[in-house]
Amino acid sequence: MELITNLQEIVGIDSVSASPMELYCYSSDASQIRGTPDYVVRPQDSEQVSKILKFANEHEIPVTARGAGTGLAGGAVALEGGIVLDLSGMDRILDIDINNLQVAVEPGVVHSKLNEVLKAEGFFFPPDPGSSAMCTLGGLIANNGSGMRSVKYGTTRSYVLDLEVVLADGSVIHTGSKTLKSSAGYDLTRLMVGSEGTLGVITKAILKIHPLPKARTVVLASFETPELAGEAVVKTLSEGVIPSACEILDRTTVEVLNSYDPNIAIPDAGATILFEFDGTKSSVVEEAEIVEAVCKPFASGIRVAADRKEMEEIWSARRLVGAAISRINPNKTRVYVGEDVGVPIKEIPRMLKLVQSISDEFDLPIMTYGHVGDGNLHTGMCIDMLDNEQWERLNLAADKIHKTAIMLDGTVSAEHGIGSARCEYMRLERGDALDVMILIKRALDPKGILNPGKLGV
Amino acid sequence: MLDVDLRSVLKCVRCGACRSVCPVLEEVGWESAGARGRMLVAHGISQGLDVDDDVLESLNTCMTCGMCKQMCPAGANPINVIENIRHRLVMKGDMTEAQKKLHKRITETGNSLGEESGRREWLGECTGSIKETAEYVYFVGCLGAYRYPESVIATFDVLSHFDVTLLPDEVCCGSPLIRTGFDADKMIAHNVEQIRMVGAHTIITSCAGCHNTLIQSYPDEFKVVHVSEFLAEHLSELELKRLDLTVTYHDACHLGRCRGVFDAPRKVITAVCDLKEMKTNREDARCCGGGGGVRTGYPELSLALVKKRLMDVPDGVDYLITSCPLCTKNLIEGGSDTDVIDLVELVRLAMK
Repeated sequence: MELITNLQEIVGIDSVSASPMELYCYSSDASQIRGTPDYVVRPQDSEQVSKILKFANEHEIPVTARGAGTGLAGGAVALEGGIVLDLSGMDRILDIDINNLQVAVEPGVVHSKLNEVLKAEGFFFPPDPGSSAMCTLGGLIANNGSGMRSVKYGTTRSYVLDLEVVLADGSVIHTGSKTLKSSAGYDLTRLMVGSEGTLGVITKAILKIHPLPKARTVVLASFETPELAGEAVVKTLSEGVIPSACEILDRTTVEVLNSYDPNIAIPDAGATILFEFDGTKSSVVEEAEIVEAVCKPFASGIRVAADRKEMEEIWSARRLVGAAISRINPNKTRVYVGEDVGVPIKEIPRMLKLVQSISDEFDLPIMTYGHVGDGNLHTGMCIDMLDNEQWERLNLAADKIHKTAIMLDGTVSAEHGIGSARCEYMRLERGDALDVMILIKRALDPKGILNPGKLGV
Repeated sequence: MLDVDLRSVLKCVRCGACRSVCPVLEEVGWESAGARGRMLVAHGISQGLDVDDDVLESLNTCMTCGMCKQMCPAGANPINVIENIRHRLVMKGDMTEAQKKLHKRITETGNSLGEESGRREWLGECTGSIKETAEYVYFVGCLGAYRYPESVIATFDVLSHFDVTLLPDEVCCGSPLIRTGFDADKMIAHNVEQIRMVGAHTIITSCAGCHNTLIQSYPDEFKVVHVSEFLAEHLSELELKRLDLTVTYHDACHLGRCRGVFDAPRKVITAVCDLKEMKTNREDARCCGGGGGVRTGYPELSLALVKKRLMDVPDGVDYLITSCPLCTKNLIEGGSDTDVIDLVELVRLAMK
């Protein structure tokens, strides 16, 4: 029997494709990594996923799980062919359990859809990635994504209580429980979060949710240089004020934002910090006053966003700014490489300065923006995709950005994941811990069928 | 290998933001059914991907509704890329049976419906009273002329208060041809010659597809306004009474998102009755599922999409108002519980 027939028997004829056209559409995510699968399968439930993995394991066929394919490191790209499991069709919110402060979801639920539903209940799921409108929760969990609010609320890892995971041989486990805390053995939930589909396929998740704050305010502070902005952030955080978002935008980013949404009028400056505070009406006013006082010696201008409408406009444009940089020059396109480093927060001013010198060294404009409050900087580079020489400079600059972050005790990926794009830095960043990861991988996936070629394992 | 404008294709950074808005992707689920997938298919073709039935289906199931273009953070224009590729494929002879039939109908009969009868039959006895020259010309469109005579009569009746005439020998504006990859040069040249003969400075359209095409693909020697814009500007001259009705309004993609005409129809509606908006409206309005050749080529998909659009109709409205006969057709055939009428029919109800 042909392999495709076996797969069709499990999920149905219409949920398997081996069409060259379809395979081409599934051969990439938003990174530069490419790999063409032999089959794309769209399962409908965990039982089907289990049968597919059992079959693939027996026949040693690689399996790569994929949500919306919005990843930036090739995590969902089938490097060694085999099956891409498109889980975006498993998109049911299974249970909203407000009394237990949790929800149960399938992996294909889109992030923003969950928050739309929770908003009506007065709750939210705090991790807030820029790709909220399109990324799936399964992908977010598998990459330990986070976003703008992690400075206060932490990353996805902090919100996962339990995962249903299909292991390489098709067996199904639950990694946690419905309780808000547990000391029962190894923390397999935290192991699976961020494992990028190399240890199992997530088919269900129980996520902790948080009450929506009663008030929010946004303070926009302008600075002459990114380094001054970085210093203001370090100073603010050390004063004991924890913003719910703390974003840096360099001059180019502000230009991009203003052109993407002309309603946003952020003043031109060397760098801008957007501080958001959430809480009660009085607490946000008090915190905004503290941040204004702290930033005053560093800033060239400070103002508070006029109203909720302005705040929403700023955030919705900010979420998509990474791609919007492509608008600046019709012949250039944003390429996601070296885009997600993280450093200890006190190293932020230094990292900003070093990024600038890398930009000068390779004669490549680098837009800097990101979640500066947790040390996560996004660097945006645009090139003419048809110019090989620009590609070369781009890759050299990205390499140097990664190595610089590691030198400052930082990480090559704060929230986007390693995939295959950043594998080569795992040894440098993780040292001997990588050997432990390799041992875990071998124990759980002895035949190496799960997302091979990723994470350096 | 097909010559593809690679630079426009590479403008897509594959961030997937369009996944959140593409109605076809939402319905079908496969990556190839969304804007990002179609950009990848275009890229694949430039790299030697064989053009098979699956490729044609991916490219031809785009309704050109413009949601992806409107929200694309990177500034890519998937509609242009898709229409260009459709064109290049058609030039090479790669097309579906539905495309071939559509082309044959239009070139043989001058209308998208393949009707052999006269385009002006809706006029009935009044043919003799049509002016030879006028400041304005009413461009009727195929669907209006052959399928919705009552709304065309209403439109011409309302417009007869002004210096408006018809083209002596109007043919299809070319929209269905251009959307599905064909040249429409002959149709365009024929209509342009007619417009010059009439001497009009402005063309008034009542179909979103005609409107978009007359602006986009015709020489810019005359002004093009949609009848909703024309009426909004001349409301005070029409002596309209207030109707005891509440209606809702469906924004046609090629009039709204593509041409930015949102306020005019609303101004006309609220001048005569109450308006209750659909769940998604203006820039965010869902497509009726009819555009881009999807109604003709993929009727089942089109039907599934119009059913979703109909779920946006609010409770307690007397009419669902449209300003495009293709939308009207799809909304009616999709089983609308609310009566679907053209904006101008509403205006005529309000005329004293």
